[in-house]
Amino acid sequence: MKNKGSLLSEGAEAKVFIVKAFGMEILVKSRLPKDYRIKEIDDSIRKRRTKIESRVMYRLNRAGVRAPRLFAAGVFSIYYEKLDGKLMKDSSLGSKMLKKCGMLLAEIHNAGISHGDFTPANIIISHGTPYVIDFGLSEVRNSSEEMGIDLLLMKRSVSSSMFKKFMEGYAETARNPKPVIDKLEEIEKRGRYQIRTLG
Amino acid sequence: MLVIGIESSAHTFGAGICEGGKILANEKEMYHISTSGMIPGRVAETHIRNAALVIGRAMSKANVKFSDLEGVGYTMGPGMGPCLQVGALSARTIARRLGIKIAAVNHCVAHAEITRNMAHMSDPIVVYVSGGNSQLLRLQGSPRRYHVIGETLDIGIGNMLDTFARGIGLDPAWGSTVEKKAMSGSYVELPYTVKGMDFSFTGLLTKALELANTESSEDLCYSIQETSFSMLCEAAERAMLLSGKDEVCVSGGVAQNTRLREMLRKMAEGHGSRFAAAPNEFNADNGGMIAFVAERMLEKGYYTPIENCTVKQRYRVNTAVVP
Ligand SMILES: Nc1ncnc2c1ncn2[C@@H]1O[C@H](COP(=O)(O)OP(=O)(O)O)[C@@H](O)[C@H]1O
Ligand SMILES: [Mg+2]
Repeated sequence: MKNKGSLLSEGAEAKVFIVKAFGMEILVKSRLPKDYRIKEIDDSIRKRRTKIESRVMYRLNRAGVRAPRLFAAGVFSIYYEKLDGKLMKDSSLGSKMLKKCGMLLAEIHNAGISHGDFTPANIIISHGTPYVIDFGLSEVRNSSEEMGIDLLLMKRSVSSSMFKKFMEGYAETARNPKPVIDKLEEIEKRGRYQIRTLG
Repeated sequence: MLVIGIESSAHTFGAGICEGGKILANEKEMYHISTSGMIPGRVAETHIRNAALVIGRAMSKANVKFSDLEGVGYTMGPGMGPCLQVGALSARTIARRLGIKIAAVNHCVAHAEITRNMAHMSDPIVVYVSGGNSQLLRLQGSPRRYHVIGETLDIGIGNMLDTFARGIGLDPAWGSTVEKKAMSGSYVELPYTVKGMDFSFTGLLTKALELANTESSEDLCYSIQETSFSMLCEAAERAMLLSGKDEVCVSGGVAQNTRLREMLRKMAEGHGSRFAAAPNEFNADNGGMIAFVAERMLEKGYYTPIENCTVKQRYRVNTAVVP
């Protein structure tokens, strides 16, 4: 790509740029090479994560779950819709919005997908509606273990009263919430995911 | 304060002497691994036979007498019960005879602390990689403790490498066999599993063993190292960037591997962060690091009454106070 555009965000494994295309602003998320690992491994990881991210975004688009629209996928980059709004982690949320976030995760699971990194840093509130982003760690296969971890990551990121509201939305919308909620308890008992406070 | 430290959590019986944060002696004897791996009872017997010898050697290397000792430290855990018992017994015996205080040290804290201090780092991400453990650690809270911010979801990387070496018929000299063979190998694809800041090694191990009949051992050694080390580096990179830390160090037995150190250094320096590892004698299990932490603990009043100086096979790092 000739015009790299302006940098919107730089994460641990990808950069997100804003570029002009089709007469509007769209986003490009590029997984850049890591020089500490050999090229064979580096290429294959970046390809795999780019592929899973585009597949999941496409699936969610087709299932009508709120996520950015996918425009195109390259080998190491995806091109998708720029949402206008704020990250959930930077917003103050009422109980209605928390419930909607729970419903969003339920819809993702109903579509046969576990997100893998479902935290307030990967939800954008746009015009009063939550959208999900960032599918590099997602799986198109929803075992109750993976879905339980989605719940757990959210639980660890918000207060207990917020999580309660979130769960109201989840339980109402999920096709089969019981085994996932049971799994959440089981994972917590295992205690491996105890203390993960960063920052 | 002149302190002796005793380490016996696994295949090494070590005794170190420390005073004012300086290691005056660091002696050890190792149980020689056979193809059957480690049988805790046998290892413990070897430790019992070596204990007096190793302790005596450390005393004379440091040029000190028993009556000079002001404190004793030992590894309380984690580790293999029968092995840990030998160290605990040695420590109690010395303490009782001399009437001095005992510090019960967490093995992982000792690895992390000796490296952090030698590297002059205040608040690093510690990549702790040994036989049974593989964790990303970071100091937090008051009193300070090492919190686990990422870790293996199944087995430790050292055990993975040793099991692999044994499985393809190599003599597993604690990882170094794999490292040597890897030098002349090239890449074959193996599973790579990172979940956020956690990682897992069994899928990789199973696949590598499956390929033993069709691929050369050099290629498999190369690939299992490149794959597992890349996973560790990626998790450490995420931990570093998410926590905003600008120091990374590596400690524990697998930190002796040159390739792992090179990869972590590249990763850290690529982000303008500092990287460090301790000299290898402190990455392998050793008594010096136990003496080092014990001295600080005793100086700050963290001692354990002799009747409570037992062992904890599953002593989690995040429950131990860092002096
Ligand atoms: N569709 C989008 N619309 C607007 N901003 C976005 C969109 N996708 C990502 N971003 C911004 O880019 C950041 C990083 O994107 P993300 O896909 O979460 O990558 P990373 O793997 O780096 O976390 C987000 O936190 C958000 O600020
Ligand atoms: Mg993100």
